[in-house]
Amino acid sequence: MVVETDLVVVGAGPAGTSAALAAANAGLGVILIDEAREAGGQVYRAPARTLTAAIKTRDRDAAAGVRLRAALDRSSVRFERGLRVWSIGERFRTDTVGPEGVRTFKAPRLIAAGGAFERTVPFPGWTLPGVMGLAAATILLKSEAMLPGRRVVIAGCGPLLAAVAAKVSGGGGDVAAVIDMASRRQWASVMLQLATRFNLLREGAGWVLGLARRRVPIHFASTIRRIDEADGLLSVEIGPVDGKGRARPGRSSLINDVDAVAVGHGLVPGVEITRLAGAAHTYDRLRGGWVPVLDAMGRTTIEGLYAAGDGCGIRGALSAATAGTLAGLAAAGDAGALDPDTLASKSEPQLKEAVRLDRFSAAVSELLALRPGQVADIAPDTVVCRCEDVRRADIDAAIADGAADVNQLKHFTRCGMGPCQGRMCGDVVGELVALHAGSREAAGAWTPRPPLRPVPLADLIGSYSYNDMPIPKPVPL
Amino acid sequence: MTTTFDLIVVGGGINGASVALFCARAGMRVALIERDQICRGASGVNAGTLTLQMTRVALIPYALEAHAMWANAPEWLGHDVGVVVCDGLSLAFTEGEEELLTYRAARRREAGAPIEIITGTEAQGIEPGLGASVRVAGWCPIDGFANAYLTGLAYRRALVEAGVALLERTMARGVDETQPFVVNTDRGPIRGRRLVIAGGVWIEPMLAWLGVKLPIKVLINQLSVTERVAPVMRTQVGIASGLLSLKQYPHGTVVIGGGWQGWGNRETGRSGIVPDSIIGNVRLACHAIPALAEARLARSWTGFEAETADVLPAVGPVPGIPEAYVCGSIHSGYTSAPYIAKLLAQCILGQEPERLLFPIDRLLLQSASAATVS
Amino acid sequence: MQLIVDGRTIAAHDGEMLAAALMAAGLWRLRTSPRKGTGRGAFCLMGVCQECAIFVDGRLQQACSVEVRDGMHLELRGAP
Repeated sequence: MVVETDLVVVGAGPAGTSAALAAANAGLGVILIDEAREAGGQVYRAPARTLTAAIKTRDRDAAAGVRLRAALDRSSVRFERGLRVWSIGERFRTDTVGPEGVRTFKAPRLIAAGGAFERTVPFPGWTLPGVMGLAAATILLKSEAMLPGRRVVIAGCGPLLAAVAAKVSGGGGDVAAVIDMASRRQWASVMLQLATRFNLLREGAGWVLGLARRRVPIHFASTIRRIDEADGLLSVEIGPVDGKGRARPGRSSLINDVDAVAVGHGLVPGVEITRLAGAAHTYDRLRGGWVPVLDAMGRTTIEGLYAAGDGCGIRGALSAATAGTLAGLAAAGDAGALDPDTLASKSEPQLKEAVRLDRFSAAVSELLALRPGQVADIAPDTVVCRCEDVRRADIDAAIADGAADVNQLKHFTRCGMGPCQGRMCGDVVGELVALHAGSREAAGAWTPRPPLRPVPLADLIGSYSYNDMPIPKPVPL
Repeated sequence: MTTTFDLIVVGGGINGASVALFCARAGMRVALIERDQICRGASGVNAGTLTLQMTRVALIPYALEAHAMWANAPEWLGHDVGVVVCDGLSLAFTEGEEELLTYRAARRREAGAPIEIITGTEAQGIEPGLGASVRVAGWCPIDGFANAYLTGLAYRRALVEAGVALLERTMARGVDETQPFVVNTDRGPIRGRRLVIAGGVWIEPMLAWLGVKLPIKVLINQLSVTERVAPVMRTQVGIASGLLSLKQYPHGTVVIGGGWQGWGNRETGRSGIVPDSIIGNVRLACHAIPALAEARLARSWTGFEAETADVLPAVGPVPGIPEAYVCGSIHSGYTSAPYIAKLLAQCILGQEPERLLFPIDRLLLQSASAATVS
Repeated sequence: MQLIVDGRTIAAHDGEMLAAALMAAGLWRLRTSPRKGTGRGAFCLMGVCQECAIFVDGRLQQACSVEVRDGMHLELRGAP
């Protein structure tokens, strides 16, 4: 049984929810789908069900999440929660699995707002239990009211470093050190570009001052060289890096007796829906990697398919909301629910806001973008593809054997064939192949294939009768 | 390029690559033209099934030889394609399937395939992973599977070692001249004394370059693979109806096939899955091996398969065009490819092939210009 | 509430993410990697990395996407 509607929106973060609301307000029937129990995506992720009373609404993101979910509740948007989209087909059949098995939706228009995921550039020891992403640490702190560990090292790049460190400290944990790839100079330049964003600067300053007060060591222009494990605890070796992320000669130091490391090197747009649909993409290093080609309203090169949010390029939550609204308006306009004049007048302020936000988000995106030197430095014995234990040395050997792009590499090594479907390693693998292929374009991207996420066979098969199975004409003997 | 090769092979799937390999080893100077990378099409994405239980009776002798070659891949190919030789079971769950299976197994047995009909209980003894509802099964001890995605790397190494000029990312666009042949590609003309058309579903437009009309039906086969799981089966499993192929690789993934159709277009080259078709396929798989339901689907994909009007191979000389040959549309082509290619190579080398080929004269449509090119 | 992990009982709170409950109980190693057999634990906590896929009441599920339930049976089966 297929449920039909005017518009399907996949992903209920700031982009998807804003898109759904804009389209619904314009009169479209909208179905909004997300795997999670609540809307908000990652940045506005709801706290655990039993923690809602404990939200500190002084937290900007938490408050924004509350407003978002309230607006959704009040609207006519049909929010299908807890459903995992596994296939998107012809305009636009959306197949999902959830607690009640298979559910299928169809609409002539679809907005892809699946967000981004974190990138970690591999180093020896990154797969040890106790090592997690920065986003993962944030989820524990904000949604589970839990410390990632008692003594924690926080490493990588971007504003999340200070935020996570401040929350760990504030929660009574011991931040052994913050290891920031950016130099003080790079941060100064970022501050200048964010000069008029008082809220952001104040928040950031608050985090940093808090850390200084607690005498948390912050190592700038540094990275984790390796992590080792002994007697259930981790020891973290750090060392200096240059602006491109390459190790600089210089003393490395060791941080011992750590029980958790939160590390993240930026965000990668999740483009699986737009790629599966055959939309055109381009490589944009600043915005995180491969992104769909869009017009100003979020239309892709496939008719009826729109995209918005960090899944189109890393610009942050505020840009995501604006882009979502524009895509929702575009869908409504294209469906004839808004006349061209109304569409133009509603879009204008959003378009202006998008341009304004773009300037600021570029500064932060630069902090989060992939540093080629860091990838070049990956030691041969380091696991790059976690799912399949494929090391840098295996990848280099396959390239020497003739693997000319990432898909051929996949066939030669199984790199990217595991259950994460190449998400954890894809950006780094593209960069490694590009070292030989000459460019990211030449290196290519994984061939898009369903299911969009692994799905349990038990959920797919549901209940059936063997006798209902189609009996084909027997092949000639 | 001013060289005149002894042989040009157009199409770098397993048929083309095998013909190129055998001819090169026999001393010919061979160019293999492939628009993408070798064995990345059907040859790289098929289920790898090496079974006699789905092989057409007329092809059984060929499949038996090919199976022996696959089992010995390190000997003649020189490189590993992950071949596992194991028992094969073809299951019957209904009375109708039992009838079909029994009849067909007998006919295949007459043709030389060692297939025996056994009870459901006996089948469970051979394959403990089976569900309880099997009535009877066809059992063949000569069965197994290869790992399709390893084909490209294995053949690449073999072809390079044999001195084949591997012209990848080279799109053949037509044949400008015959005798010698001049193949027009996007990287310039390639000259050769002999020509093999081995372009998979594209042998139809390719033969049209030579003025030959061979209708090819395009099948869009779907496959699915799970993530690595604990051992759930130890044989290659099919169903009497032919709608299932199922195997678990040594590294733990289970590949589910059976010819369920997706959507696709030979002209654009695009193809994709049909969700209900995937679900049907997966249901059959879990019906045969219930423990599979614990696993998760990691990936589904499609590939093109060529089929002639009589569902038999198109392998042999191209009528009216001396020194031009075609090799394709074999039906379970991956299974038989190495042996069929060996036969065609014998023919190209001027020998009498040790077994009959499948000349395409029987399949051709009359073209408007009945006079053939000399 | 209580969860049973490979026969051992651990405590959990109503509404808690399963992966978080396991971490809180000191169970960081959830599975082993396929080729090298090295220990792995939850990494991304947002449903992407698949490192937290364990057997929950006999079904493979991502512990970061599941809420705890009283009496849940968990198996950390290691590599397949």
